[in-house]
Amino acid sequence: MIQSLENLRAELRQWLAANAPTDWRGADTHEDFVSGQRAWFAKLVDAGYAVPHWPAQWPGGGRSLAEQKVIYEELARADAPRLLLTFVSTYHAFATLTECGSAEQQARYIPRILEGELWCQGFSEPGAGSDLASLRTRAVRDGDHYVISGQKVWSTMAQYADRCLLLVRTDRSGVKQAGITYLLMDMKSPGVTTRPISQIQGDEEFAEIFLDEVRVPVSERVGEEGDGWRVAQATLASERGLTLMELSYRMRGAMWRIAELIHEGGRIDDAGVLRDFGRLSARVDSVCALADAYLQKRIDGTEGIGDAALVKLGYSRCLRDWADLGVRLGGLGEQYRAPITFGDLNTGNWMADFMNSYAWTIAGGSDEVQRNIIAERMLGMAREPKHWVQEVGQ
Amino acid sequence: MTMTRAELEAAAAQAFDGLTLVPDAEQSWQTIAEMGWLMMCVPEDRGGLGQGGEARAVIHHAMGRALVPGPTIAQMAVVDALAAGVRTDETDALLEAAVAGDVMTASMALSLAEDVLIAVPDADRASHVLHMTSERIALVPLEGCEVVGRETWDETRRLFDVRVPGSQGVTIAEGNAARELAETVRANLLLALAADALGGAEAALAMSVEYLGTRRQFDRPLAMFQALKHRCADLRVAISLADALLWQEAASPDLSLARAGALNALACQVYKETAEEAIQLHGGIGLTLEHPCHLFLKRAFLNCALGGDADYWEECAGRERLAEISAA
Repeated sequence: MIQSLENLRAELRQWLAANAPTDWRGADTHEDFVSGQRAWFAKLVDAGYAVPHWPAQWPGGGRSLAEQKVIYEELARADAPRLLLTFVSTYHAFATLTECGSAEQQARYIPRILEGELWCQGFSEPGAGSDLASLRTRAVRDGDHYVISGQKVWSTMAQYADRCLLLVRTDRSGVKQAGITYLLMDMKSPGVTTRPISQIQGDEEFAEIFLDEVRVPVSERVGEEGDGWRVAQATLASERGLTLMELSYRMRGAMWRIAELIHEGGRIDDAGVLRDFGRLSARVDSVCALADAYLQKRIDGTEGIGDAALVKLGYSRCLRDWADLGVRLGGLGEQYRAPITFGDLNTGNWMADFMNSYAWTIAGGSDEVQRNIIAERMLGMAREPKHWVQEVGQ
Repeated sequence: MTMTRAELEAAAAQAFDGLTLVPDAEQSWQTIAEMGWLMMCVPEDRGGLGQGGEARAVIHHAMGRALVPGPTIAQMAVVDALAAGVRTDETDALLEAAVAGDVMTASMALSLAEDVLIAVPDADRASHVLHMTSERIALVPLEGCEVVGRETWDETRRLFDVRVPGSQGVTIAEGNAARELAETVRANLLLALAADALGGAEAALAMSVEYLGTRRQFDRPLAMFQALKHRCADLRVAISLADALLWQEAASPDLSLARAGALNALACQVYKETAEEAIQLHGGIGLTLEHPCHLFLKRAFLNCALGGDADYWEECAGRERLAEISAA
């Protein structure tokens, strides 16, 4: 049902005033944070605001793009926490299942996402970062199971996850992309160990996953054996499309945080500060506009190679500068160590936000990889010959 | 009837394909008038085509891409003022002549000066100049005005200083109406300059990428060097971001002067960066007069100066956004 945007905005403001958690930044422990995230997600699911980007057949889905933008802006305006814990579940897992999963897999897993089942992503490895296709975690077929050994890294919130979107190597001969298979793995399977990674801002947003002869049923495979690279593109496309619209509009909705710093610092007539604020505002607007234009292309079926990379790079650089302005205006206050911040972009401490912003310039294809995609595949600039790599690398 | 952006772009590409840079001024002016571009944004009840800001942006984007010479941006400011101001037989006749291509001009800097108007293109061949002060907007016959040519580095535009003797000419608006109209005319001009800038940036980047693909050094095309590739990618991102903002603001029915200014600041900055990089990426050939790189550089810098200080607009936009947030 499409309601008028003004009505939606008013309804949301009222609902958020009564329901948005206000003390979420005060979590003392990771457990507090996780339980707070779970409770907030459940509330949003009940109210129909948790998954506005899902299609209409799912409860809470079927919102128009314009409605989604209102929801993201209002969530940011109300200073409600972002759904970090369920991020991979509601975007990556959902997109993968709907685009490439079997009917049976969809029916089994999608409703559970709304019940709070948590997914993580097992893509990167210690030796396979930007060059993801070189991944080496091995899966060997044993009857109706795959037996998996290897190591995954940079897996968001894997220490809390119930299930994992896992890329494994089923074939070591031939083109490296062709030997990859996509599996859905139960994180409680014997042989799975997770270890949180301590990050520079004191967070443990990411974890390593160690896999020691883990058995995953063949029925948990998405697509055919060797088809994993194609399926993985569906997972990654969701990250570069819809998530960036949410994040861009949340960045715009949270401009009040910088405005507040300007007021607190008594700098409302400081021309230099107003100029920086005006410049940043225009940039944030341009990022939102580009995310809009990109999603419209996806809807129209006119998306071109590199379009997603433009949005990601535009967002990630703007986010860094946005946090930088906050750090600068906040002065010394931002340099006092803040307690656990949990990898969000609005932690209340700008230095923490600044450090968190690296998640978007490095993860999901680093800025440098995006630049290669744009230059080589969009602008048509010559690729580097492969033999250079061999001369230097081996 | 509103045309879609794609339709408008297709029509604009027919007029200026972008392959010929700096096309002949006289012929370009005829094309512009024949295509009806000067009446594009005039309301239908005043004999125009009733298109909005998107059409305006498409036209100037196409002209920026091909470095089209001539006073179109200034002429459209005159047309905007006539179409929105006091309606008399006299202003009707002037509007009709202006949209048909009789040259009438305006300060591209759009200052609210009393006596000397600066950056007035083609004043030596125009019949009238738009004179805007904080109290009155008028169209003043250029006969009897002192006109001094100012040669600019950018040879695609011919600018003049014009001394206007006292308050003369045909009144278009007075008092509050004049101040409001001046804001609209200025916002439209900033939008036009921003579109011109992004058209130029698009062309300058395409030219650089093409050059890097053909120029070989160290036994390989320069395009293969990642250091150069990444700079082109960064320019692509910057242009795409500013473009997205341009089309969004162009379609907005209530573009404020401060927002138009912030858009202009962003677009002109991107144009300037792209044009600067174009010369560096072309190396020695980019420094020669025979190569068109310098044309983009000079028009980019002129656009930056015409639109007014980026710092000023960014400050205005910052103040406006701060007030909006406090009020919300």
